[in-house]
Amino acid sequence: MCGLAGVARREPRRGGVSVEMLDRMAAALRHRGPDGSGRYADARVGLAHVRLSIIDVAGGAQPLGNEDGSVLIVYNGEVYNYLEMRAELIAAGHQFRTRCDTEVLVHAYEQWGTAMLERLNGQFAFAIYDRRKSQVFLARDRFGVRPLFYSCSGGDLWFASEAKALFASGEVEAALDPIGLDQVFTFWAARPPRTVFRDVASLEPGCYAIWQDGTLRQGRYYELDYPEAREEANDALPTLDGLLDSSVALRLRSDVPVGGYLSGGLDSSISCALAARGSPFSLRTFSITFDDPQLDEGEFQQLVARELQSCHYIRAIGPHDVASVFPDVVRHAETPLVRTAPAPMYLLARLAREHDIKVVLTGEGSDELFLGYDLFKETALRQFCLRQPGSQVRPRLFDRLYPYLDPRGRRGDFWRRSFLEAGSPDDPLFSHLPRFLLTSRIKEFYSADLRAAIGEHDALGELRDNLPSRFTTWSALNRAAYLEMVTLLSPYLLSSQGDRMSLAHGVEARYPFLDTRVFEFAARLPTSSKLRGLKEKAILRRWARDVVPPAVQQRPKQPYRAPDVPAFFTAAPPEYVAEVLDEANLARTGLFEPAAVSGLVRRCRAGTALGFRESQALVAIISTELWQRYFLGEGVEAALPAGSQS
Amino acid sequence: MSEATVLARTRAFVNETFLYMRPGFALADTDRLLQRGVIDSMGVMELIAFLRSEFGVVVADEDITETNLGTLADIARYVSAHSNGNGAKP
Repeated sequence: MCGLAGVARREPRRGGVSVEMLDRMAAALRHRGPDGSGRYADARVGLAHVRLSIIDVAGGAQPLGNEDGSVLIVYNGEVYNYLEMRAELIAAGHQFRTRCDTEVLVHAYEQWGTAMLERLNGQFAFAIYDRRKSQVFLARDRFGVRPLFYSCSGGDLWFASEAKALFASGEVEAALDPIGLDQVFTFWAARPPRTVFRDVASLEPGCYAIWQDGTLRQGRYYELDYPEAREEANDALPTLDGLLDSSVALRLRSDVPVGGYLSGGLDSSISCALAARGSPFSLRTFSITFDDPQLDEGEFQQLVARELQSCHYIRAIGPHDVASVFPDVVRHAETPLVRTAPAPMYLLARLAREHDIKVVLTGEGSDELFLGYDLFKETALRQFCLRQPGSQVRPRLFDRLYPYLDPRGRRGDFWRRSFLEAGSPDDPLFSHLPRFLLTSRIKEFYSADLRAAIGEHDALGELRDNLPSRFTTWSALNRAAYLEMVTLLSPYLLSSQGDRMSLAHGVEARYPFLDTRVFEFAARLPTSSKLRGLKEKAILRRWARDVVPPAVQQRPKQPYRAPDVPAFFTAAPPEYVAEVLDEANLARTGLFEPAAVSGLVRRCRAGTALGFRESQALVAIISTELWQRYFLGEGVEAALPAGSQS
Repeated sequence: MSEATVLARTRAFVNETFLYMRPGFALADTDRLLQRGVIDSMGVMELIAFLRSEFGVVVADEDITETNLGTLADIARYVSAHSNGNGAKP
């Protein structure tokens, strides 16, 4: 895994693109690629690259060119079917100098142009510079595993794996986009192409962009679709078996040992079990445990590790650990957060790296593909109840949701009504309205100036207006799955909690469930194969019977959570906590209402802020203040209405 | 315990817990807490915990309804009827 950066000038410059600027951009990405770096510059285009060597460790330095150097690439990621594509390209007459997948992309571009994207199975972001056409071609994988940011101004283009490299150019300003911030406090992340930085865009998953003569045009090569079958095919289980086997086998292609993240849940246990079978190396597995027994899954991790006979490493995490790394977490995530959950992932990646592992398999994607989250059950139940509004019995099923929230199960009709009144089934966002509305309660802490800067923008309305045309043809559960993929998986789980946390320590995460073939298999299944009654991931559990221990195979989904309020209100919290929550600081930065935040702090100190509503607000406020401190300094005022900072 | 006392203490709790960040929010005694976005599903649990700690009233599952807890006035009526000396549940 690596980091890439570059610039393309509308007009050639005497002396060419500044190599010093390229070096600054590369330096900002050094954590993504500590094993080497390279750059290319001509009068118009500059490319920079930092490398994490995984395949063809000795070769594969970038930028890498074709036979005559007319096509150059900087690339971050893995194309898992590169050996098959390489054979096809050799048969078509291409000559290879290295064994690495990077060179396959160069020749694939020569052979098929942008249509090459449809052939790639992997997680990638790249920039290809076609010197003959003076054209830069940017692309990103289907599900948004690898990031790619860009900014355009005056016909010039800057691009990079992380926004901080754009700012390191000295030519792209770091400034707040209030609407991007409002999206974070609706969906947990800004929705690509928007980011929390003004004039910095994120290339959407499944999309490409071509810059030529100062103009950037974009296209989409992959759209999520759910062509749901009426019945499960007779060969569904053997098909799933073959796909997961193949997906894991492809993701074990590496010249360095591959490890596994092991949460103790079904998905990571499956990917580790298949990796243990297929890896030529003795598998090393990595887990985090929590002091808080409500969050901890250590027992199941140990069970799986014993079964797999893996070399198992554990990082125990207490509230103080979360708070101590949180500023670094925000700096790497480059966005305000509403959960502390990325912090343990940051520490987990560090643990893997300390044990010389720079590639890990991990289970993300399965819950979205096979309807694992409680949100899907909630959607099904809300629909079920609304079909018979007078039923007194049906709403009682809500009591079986979210068992971890209230072990006493004391909820009653009032709790049930809150679900039934959360939105109409006719609303395209029906499934996600409870979460979006709960998250939006963070906005109650906005300052008047921030409200004014956001103006009439309606985050939910904008999402409704941008749904794909096929959305209405999908079932309610598939609509929910789609919304989960585009609003949470890609911009938050794979980014803030995924790519950014693992590559903060030079660790590449690979996702067997996010193989295109596995996604398309799952999307074709009847939803009843995935959510059967209130049993989530039904087909996956059936398949996993002989793969993981029975206790894990039958175990209900436990959401991954990390300490939030307690992390920042320990006996001796880090100094920054009081600094960023101080009323004078809040008045100066101007994003949140100081008196309201003081009310929240008072309740946190008293131990009475117990629910998501307040814990997410606390995390949001602390992370936003850290984010603005790191990226904007005093620059936040520029995004707010004139004269608002008095 | 009188309804007026329960209502005043519950209003103070709701203001302190759910509305401290919305100082201009006007909440009438008969406003529906759920519909006006004052409390949500998690808030219901906080409210029930408050009624237990403040008034010693353990709300039975079958009593957690909009009729009993939907508004400040409903809560005052319910708690007053179930607090000690008025047939409170243990």
